[in-house]
Amino acid sequence: MPHQLEITLKSDLPDAQGETVKKRAYDYLGIALKRVQVIHVLAIDADLTPDQCEQVKRVFTNPVTQVSSFSSLPLYFDWTIWVGFRPGVKDNPGDTARETIVEALGIHFEPGQAVYTSRRYCLEASGLDADAADRIAAELLANDTIEQWKVFSNDQWRKTGGMGVVIPKVKLDHTPTVTTIPVESDEALLAVSNERNLALNPNDIPTIREYFLRKTVQAERTAKGLSGPTDIELEYISQARSDHCNHNTFGGYFRYTDLETGETQEIDSLFATCIKGPTLAMQEQKPWVVSVLWDNAGAARFDEAHSYVITGETHNSPSNMEAYGGAMTGIVGVYRDPMGTGRGARLVMGGYGFCTGHRNYGGDLKPKLHPRRLLDGVIEGVKDGGNKSGIPTTFGQVYFDDGYMGKCLVFVTAIGIMPAIIKGEPAHEKRTVPGDCIVMCGGRVGKDGIHGVTASSEVYSDTTPAGHVQIGDPYTQKKMHDFLLCARDEGLIRFITDNGGGGLSSSVGESAVFAGGCEVWLEKVPLKYEGLDQWEIWVSESQERMTVAVAPENIDRFFELSADHAVESTVIGKYTDSGKLHLMYDGETCAYIDLDFMESDFPQWRFDAEWVSPAWRGLCEPVLSPPQDYNRLLCEMLARPNICSKEWITRQYDHEVQGGSVIKPLVGEDRDVVSDAAVTRPVLDSEKGIAFSQALLPAYSQIDAYHMTTCTIDEAVRRVIVVGGPWNAIGGVDNFCWPNIQYDTTTNPDGKFKAAQLVRSCQALRDACEAFGIPLLSGKDSMYVDGHLAGRYGETRKVSALPTMQFSATAVVEDVSKCVTMDVKAPGDLVYMIGHTADELGASEYYAHLGFVGRNVPQVDTAACRAQYKAVATAIDRGLLASAHGIYRGGLGVHLALSAMAGMMGMTIDLTKIPCPTPLSDDRIIFSESPGRFLVTIAPEDKAEVETLFEGAVFACIGSVVEHPALTVNGSSGGPIIEVNVDELKQAWKEPFGDLI
Amino acid sequence: MSSNVNALVLTGYGLNCDIETAHALTLAGATAHRVHINALLAKKVMLDDFHIMAFVGGFSWGDDHGAGVIQAHRMQSGIGDDLARFVDRGGLVIGICNGFQTLVNTGLLPGIAGEKTGRVRSVALITNDCGNFRDDWVSLSVDTASPCVFTRGMTSLELPIRHGEGKFYCDSTVLETLRTEHQIVMRYADRTGKPASGRFPENPNGAIDDVAGICDPTGRVFGLMPHPEAYVHFTNHPGWTRRKVKARRADQPFPPAPES
Repeated sequence: MPHQLEITLKSDLPDAQGETVKKRAYDYLGIALKRVQVIHVLAIDADLTPDQCEQVKRVFTNPVTQVSSFSSLPLYFDWTIWVGFRPGVKDNPGDTARETIVEALGIHFEPGQAVYTSRRYCLEASGLDADAADRIAAELLANDTIEQWKVFSNDQWRKTGGMGVVIPKVKLDHTPTVTTIPVESDEALLAVSNERNLALNPNDIPTIREYFLRKTVQAERTAKGLSGPTDIELEYISQARSDHCNHNTFGGYFRYTDLETGETQEIDSLFATCIKGPTLAMQEQKPWVVSVLWDNAGAARFDEAHSYVITGETHNSPSNMEAYGGAMTGIVGVYRDPMGTGRGARLVMGGYGFCTGHRNYGGDLKPKLHPRRLLDGVIEGVKDGGNKSGIPTTFGQVYFDDGYMGKCLVFVTAIGIMPAIIKGEPAHEKRTVPGDCIVMCGGRVGKDGIHGVTASSEVYSDTTPAGHVQIGDPYTQKKMHDFLLCARDEGLIRFITDNGGGGLSSSVGESAVFAGGCEVWLEKVPLKYEGLDQWEIWVSESQERMTVAVAPENIDRFFELSADHAVESTVIGKYTDSGKLHLMYDGETCAYIDLDFMESDFPQWRFDAEWVSPAWRGLCEPVLSPPQDYNRLLCEMLARPNICSKEWITRQYDHEVQGGSVIKPLVGEDRDVVSDAAVTRPVLDSEKGIAFSQALLPAYSQIDAYHMTTCTIDEAVRRVIVVGGPWNAIGGVDNFCWPNIQYDTTTNPDGKFKAAQLVRSCQALRDACEAFGIPLLSGKDSMYVDGHLAGRYGETRKVSALPTMQFSATAVVEDVSKCVTMDVKAPGDLVYMIGHTADELGASEYYAHLGFVGRNVPQVDTAACRAQYKAVATAIDRGLLASAHGIYRGGLGVHLALSAMAGMMGMTIDLTKIPCPTPLSDDRIIFSESPGRFLVTIAPEDKAEVETLFEGAVFACIGSVVEHPALTVNGSSGGPIIEVNVDELKQAWKEPFGDLI
Repeated sequence: MSSNVNALVLTGYGLNCDIETAHALTLAGATAHRVHINALLAKKVMLDDFHIMAFVGGFSWGDDHGAGVIQAHRMQSGIGDDLARFVDRGGLVIGICNGFQTLVNTGLLPGIAGEKTGRVRSVALITNDCGNFRDDWVSLSVDTASPCVFTRGMTSLELPIRHGEGKFYCDSTVLETLRTEHQIVMRYADRTGKPASGRFPENPNGAIDDVAGICDPTGRVFGLMPHPEAYVHFTNHPGWTRRKVKARRADQPFPPAPES
């Protein structure tokens, strides 16, 4: 008989969780609650004696703070809401509870017996009606893709005598079956593809059919008892060919026309021409580039004994549907990439980038989640995923634009470190060998995450399967991470890769290519519950799993270590040299495909790209006279959503665990202003560090995605340089997030223009990286950032995001004691500006503030930038700069304010000293977003040395740091046009999100 | 040169500060060994071979049933006697963050004399008043009259806190005993060293009486929420770049030579 234990805080203790629910009920739903108390429920599906129940009670109840009972706790409520997992959803607390009970009572749980955790909320609110209670349950407390709930009024509760014990056990009385798919015609196969949600590309279908109709193939298949393709084989092909895994868009053939000039280009693969080619060429010249373009992440030299490993991912579609689970799965998932790079890397830091609609959006569109809730969920997902992984989240950015309401963007980036050599072999090299065991480590396989890959290759709509949302489990993964590093160091790992998109289908399929074949025994794969079909086992994206190749002679030691670390590992097959991907279940073949079939020439995707220049689009500069009230203007600029303080997010993330923190995300006298970049010491007995930064500037795509891209790269590079990174050894990671670029007269009428924007962006990436000597250590693309949202009148409107590219920059800092922060340090210091300020306010924050877009988008002069980068980096290396800061969004005014706020000192600036190629009005100088610019402060006695060093770069001394804590800017008229106290500036900058914690 | 002081640093089951804690103990002159919890529970490694034991930060067993609860239970039921013997024979125990949460759940802290075994749960670390995980640096004032052996000669220090469940809580009688016995080793303070008196963010979690760390009556068992292992290099301090400039302008060496 099952038992249910309810645990809650003693009545005299404040319930912080309950308070959060109360606050959100009001913030999200406008429902006022008097009091909320949370009860934690353990449902134990096992027979226990009264004594055993008492023992369990003792273990799980804190006598100091909690009360508990095996019958419902008699708390007062007007409404009570129970929320628990749906059957089959990973219940990690339940698992640890079972583990503990088994250990504490020395009992055994029968197969199928388990412990399930849930929560019961007691709501006090006068006059709360049933609908409101239901909304609180459905929209606030429960997460309908993974949780179920029950709502009771006080009366109902008393009448029914509570809700009884809920055991969400999965019961699938279903015998696993392999289905053969008819392929008599292309139409038939396409029909099956749609019906099974395979998302096969119609153009691929003839190639697929041709293979299965081939005489030789059929003969081999008959010998194995197979006829036409099986569902599992088509699932394998479908995910391997999906845009997410195969990057068909970037590998596509583009016909590009500039409608204004008539110039045309034919581009065979943006990936080959703009990313792969340049990077390989650079790898030739740069010995520090260790491994790029083939593994789960790129590797670069950290020191003689170590490489650092980096990759960046996005998790947009899942996060858009279920913000918390999607984002958490994103961060936990990207952490498996370095673990699966080379022989395996230890994770040392993470970064995030969130793009959503405005937090206070009040317009007509009704997205599944309002941006405020979506952002809160995403923030929380990355918090739990990152913090519980024990990996510092040292850098992040948030960008608001209502174009992201169709689909939000969640960028997650991971850096790891690995030895250069393991047991005499290069750690970044790996291959599978025929005879090696295929081992699956970590979590078990369930129905969760099926068709994730194919779904993320589609535009979000109501028919997108919610099944592909999972809850990441950082606890299970952390245990696996620790175990795998031990196995790695003992030389037990020959090959390792993660199970992410596509599950075993990807990890085994890709790793088998090295050996030249594989044989997998699907019945051996450990399942969360019985009843999965073979194809589901094969493509399930259940998280926290790695696939490892272990040589037979090492298998015993590998499993011994695995047991010591309480990690589940299973041999599920072996690598072969058969040339075949051979899947079996209970001895019967269910898939038998030539591995090189995926290499066969599937038709290349083709795109028409038509560029309409800003002029032809009718963009023009606004007609604008200089403002009078600069003080107010500057304060309101500082309060703009994309500029203001987001400290509440930063502080939720552990950015110091592992003990290597050098430059934190928040710096300055009061440790509350955003740093340009982060610096971490991944190897604690070394004085070397890794500088890391990211940038994204989607606003510029409104004018030209080419300049959006070069400006983004320039910003990321400057961010790394001002904290002390070298200017000439920077690695990059590109993450493209683009709307659908496939033209369609009715569903995507501007597809050709979006395609042209992508072409220009990729060519800009190539041009800037070549000019700055930046190899692309890693990169990913995520297309289809579009959504169809319900409008005011029951219509739906398609919303496409601004073309967005996040760029990450990393560099090794030789000596962290030379690092610099952006806060001004000492009164009397001289303020220098490096770089030209031009009439470049197109798509700037200033224009946006006034409701304009304009046309003069900032443009990167790579030659000038290089000189400026070098000047600043050299000055920092010589220890000459007291503070260094880049000038980014918002321009000079905003970034002077930030440096002053950080130092809690004043600055006096003379605008007439600012280097401008052509004369500019004061407001343009203050708010121009010209790239390549820096603000630095130096001790007066270093003036001569600094100025000689800066020769060859554009620079000027524009003022000084002063004791009196006010920012004073003198304009062209000579007199002060800005005079604001630092406190006032800071108040304005913090005000928008100041009440959030 | 390896020291003859052996320190055991727990790892595994979601703990995550083991590497830097071992590094910190090494800098302090010990020979640090990272030992998986299972190795200790299976008695493959014996506590008797060590002088210092560190319960480190992290999320043991995911911390889903109260921070440190499961780890405390496993330690008590698995090696409770060894642990008691280790403490009684003069071994040193430090519990940081999740380790502190674990020690209070084992009852090793506060281990108030007079209690039957001196090892029952009488204090707790509960959800921060702010309702969220928080990473920030705090100023701490040290009770110089405390028997704590880990803080001898200290009056104040700055360290990072990184937790969601760090609010120290106990009833008034226990609190009174802790006060009179000087078992409250350190309290959250403002930057001038004055008590935070519950003010956020100086007191980051709402801990009663600003309690940040306590010891047992012997002073050999010490638990604290802030992370001393996260401040073992001058660049760990959030203000180090400002200090560097000040020092340079005053022609003083930076980093300052460590006091011996």
